[in-house]
Amino acid sequence: MPGILVYALHDDEGNFNKNSLGALSEAAKLAGELGTEAAAVVVGDVSDDAAAELGKYGVSKVYRAKEAPEGLAQPIIDVMAKVMQDNDFDYALFGGGLLGFEIGAGLTARLNAGVTMEVTQVNVQDGKLVAERPILQDSQIADVGYVEVPGIIIGRLNAFDTNEGDGTAEVEDVQVELSPWSTKARMVTRGEQRGADVNIEDANILVGGGRGLGKAENFELAEQLAESMGGAVAATRAVVDAGWYPYAAQIGQTGKTVAPNLYLALGISGAIQHKVGMQNSENILAINKDQNAPIFEFSDLGVVGDLHKIVPKLTEAIKAKKGS
Amino acid sequence: MAVEPLEYPPPVKPAEEFITGITDPEEERIEVGVAIVGGGPAGLACAIKLMQLLEDEPELTEKLGEVPVAVVEKGKTPGAHLLSGANMKPSAMRELFPDLDPSDWPVYQEVTKDAVYFLTSKLAAPLKPMPPNFRNHGNYVTSIAKLGRFLGEKAEEAGVYILSETAADKLLVEDRIVRGVRSGDKGRGKDGEELSNFEPGSDLVAKATVLAEGTLGHLTDAALEYFDLRGPDPQRWELGVKEVWEVEKPLDRVIHTLGWPLRWRPKYKEAGGSFIYPMGEDKVCIGLVVGLDTSDATFSTHDALQELKTHPFVKKILEGGKRVAWGAKTIPSGGYWSMPKRLSSPGMVITGDAAGMVNVPTLKGIHYAMHSGMYAAEAIVESLKQDSVNFESYERKVKGSLIEKDLWQSRNMRQPLSKGLIFGGVMGSLMVLTKGAFPGGHWKNEPDAEVPVEPEGAVRKYPKPDNKYIFDKLNSVFLSGNATRDDAPNHIRI
Repeated sequence: MPGILVYALHDDEGNFNKNSLGALSEAAKLAGELGTEAAAVVVGDVSDDAAAELGKYGVSKVYRAKEAPEGLAQPIIDVMAKVMQDNDFDYALFGGGLLGFEIGAGLTARLNAGVTMEVTQVNVQDGKLVAERPILQDSQIADVGYVEVPGIIIGRLNAFDTNEGDGTAEVEDVQVELSPWSTKARMVTRGEQRGADVNIEDANILVGGGRGLGKAENFELAEQLAESMGGAVAATRAVVDAGWYPYAAQIGQTGKTVAPNLYLALGISGAIQHKVGMQNSENILAINKDQNAPIFEFSDLGVVGDLHKIVPKLTEAIKAKKGS
Repeated sequence: MAVEPLEYPPPVKPAEEFITGITDPEEERIEVGVAIVGGGPAGLACAIKLMQLLEDEPELTEKLGEVPVAVVEKGKTPGAHLLSGANMKPSAMRELFPDLDPSDWPVYQEVTKDAVYFLTSKLAAPLKPMPPNFRNHGNYVTSIAKLGRFLGEKAEEAGVYILSETAADKLLVEDRIVRGVRSGDKGRGKDGEELSNFEPGSDLVAKATVLAEGTLGHLTDAALEYFDLRGPDPQRWELGVKEVWEVEKPLDRVIHTLGWPLRWRPKYKEAGGSFIYPMGEDKVCIGLVVGLDTSDATFSTHDALQELKTHPFVKKILEGGKRVAWGAKTIPSGGYWSMPKRLSSPGMVITGDAAGMVNVPTLKGIHYAMHSGMYAAEAIVESLKQDSVNFESYERKVKGSLIEKDLWQSRNMRQPLSKGLIFGGVMGSLMVLTKGAFPGGHWKNEPDAEVPVEPEGAVRKYPKPDNKYIFDKLNSVFLSGNATRDDAPNHIRI
């Protein structure tokens, strides 16, 4: 049955990766429009319940390869290639993330398929999938269609939204013969990449600090606010260049691209170099004492005022509301 | 409170830092026949001409080895770092490509109508009769970046090796003979430290080196100092900023303007003007050029161009349109007296803007650059055939050419413009009319950096950016495509 197959990555505690869940939701939505089904593929020791629960995101079936090693691309390519060919899947969809990029690319080569990467949106056109991806430094969007199937779609980080419903999926175990090269490497250990705090790309709530903070020490205001809401702290290039905050937190044209649920911009002017890194945030709240700051042109809520007075009060109010 | 910028010279000693001997062991050197620094009109015309001449010189071609001609270009492709107006005189294109019809040239259109306007904040008065130096009939509106790409393709077709994304970092000199250039290191961090992808540069050893770096060339500067080649006057520069717009109504003429928003008083030294050129049916480019010797520290050429766009005359041309490109570049404007006293040294020649071959009153430089590149090619072939690296014949060719004639005529025309619009206008006009004969003599070019600057405070109010018609600097820089990595070593030392 033609359809869309999605790889679902999970960690050692059985938690599924946010980008994978987004991809599942997206595949389910697209499959609905195409009139087919979406299915997931998981690798490793995933419990029956955990696998069936993936049905919440709209997939009707979960293929589980219990014995395939986790964390490495080659074995998973073997698994997905077999599942796709045995069940005649038309498309494979991956959420953003390094492992997904690697598996997607390898799967493309294995199946001689067409592939689009850094996809920000997928649409259905004439019964086929068309992927949208930004080009020319994010200034234009290109529509990429597939001449033949199978087609591989690799999403950008945080491109797909997660949609939870209720439903369970049928779990089917698959036995896959791994290619001789797929067992030549073995994952020894798996850990958090950047080491520091919360990965800003995964955070649902981000507090961005700009030059309006005034000095490095004032980043404490941003950190306290972020902590009160369970979010992470990001920074603009200006303050990173000035040494007030590390480069790992930089958002913008030459930093990271993020799309959290809530982005609080503190003392950030909203120059285009920063805007392109956070413009897809669901909700943007800006606090700036300059009423003409460009950020107010694209924020959902703007507060013209002194952040040094507003932010501490905001942090207090949030803490009070949360009852801590 | 006025400060001379030259009181704070940058911590650079060009001859010490940018001139070195060959350090790579023989197996690691890259041997080429002729190394050309800079993939602009001068460098590429030189490269193409060399290959044309070498077709009839099989012995010399053998001597030059596997890579007879190499062009070192720091941009992603030739044309990437080029910026100009421009109205190009066709003489060089005709000479370099005699079999090519102008319809195949990388140009937008031939100039059939042009006009000069004097602007005040509200009016645009056409200057009639039009000052002859602005007459562009018979010239072609072109984008120099387009020209660069075209010449780059033609050069590669002819067998030239274009080493793009390669910077020429130092000049290789041994026993006072120029032996090539050293390419720049790649993969250094903010403080010069070696990153994980560090790659050291290489010695590009050549029999002849052509310096075609264009404006502000650092190897040329080092060579002029090291070989004591500086001309009687120091070089001086203008800063040009330019925008390209997609417009609804095609523009029917080449336009130059004088006056507003530049201030006429001598104390401001705001010499310059603007240009508005049609680029085909659907695009227009607009730019503002101002000398670097302005005295108001708060003067911003970028913002003055934005101010110019608020003039009703300009609004009529651009309204309803969309800005699609922005860029800026300097122009060497010292003219005849600022050119180096010699254009060659054993093993090396200097061509184009790097040698200051720009005619300020007529705003021409592209065809001079190409002609000089072609003369350089001829001289190099003549000398290398006799196993000589003495390229003095290049200088003789330049001296006997229109480059020398035109630059001599306009030798004093830029200098009076910094004494205010009235004096500058009158003097400049007299010089144009008498073809440089009046008042004659040698009007000295003052170095830009010696002009004291002081902030005028809140005197100057630039229009507020709306980022749809009037833009702020950050927005313009973003549009230029600039995206250097954050940990790149600094390009400017203060």
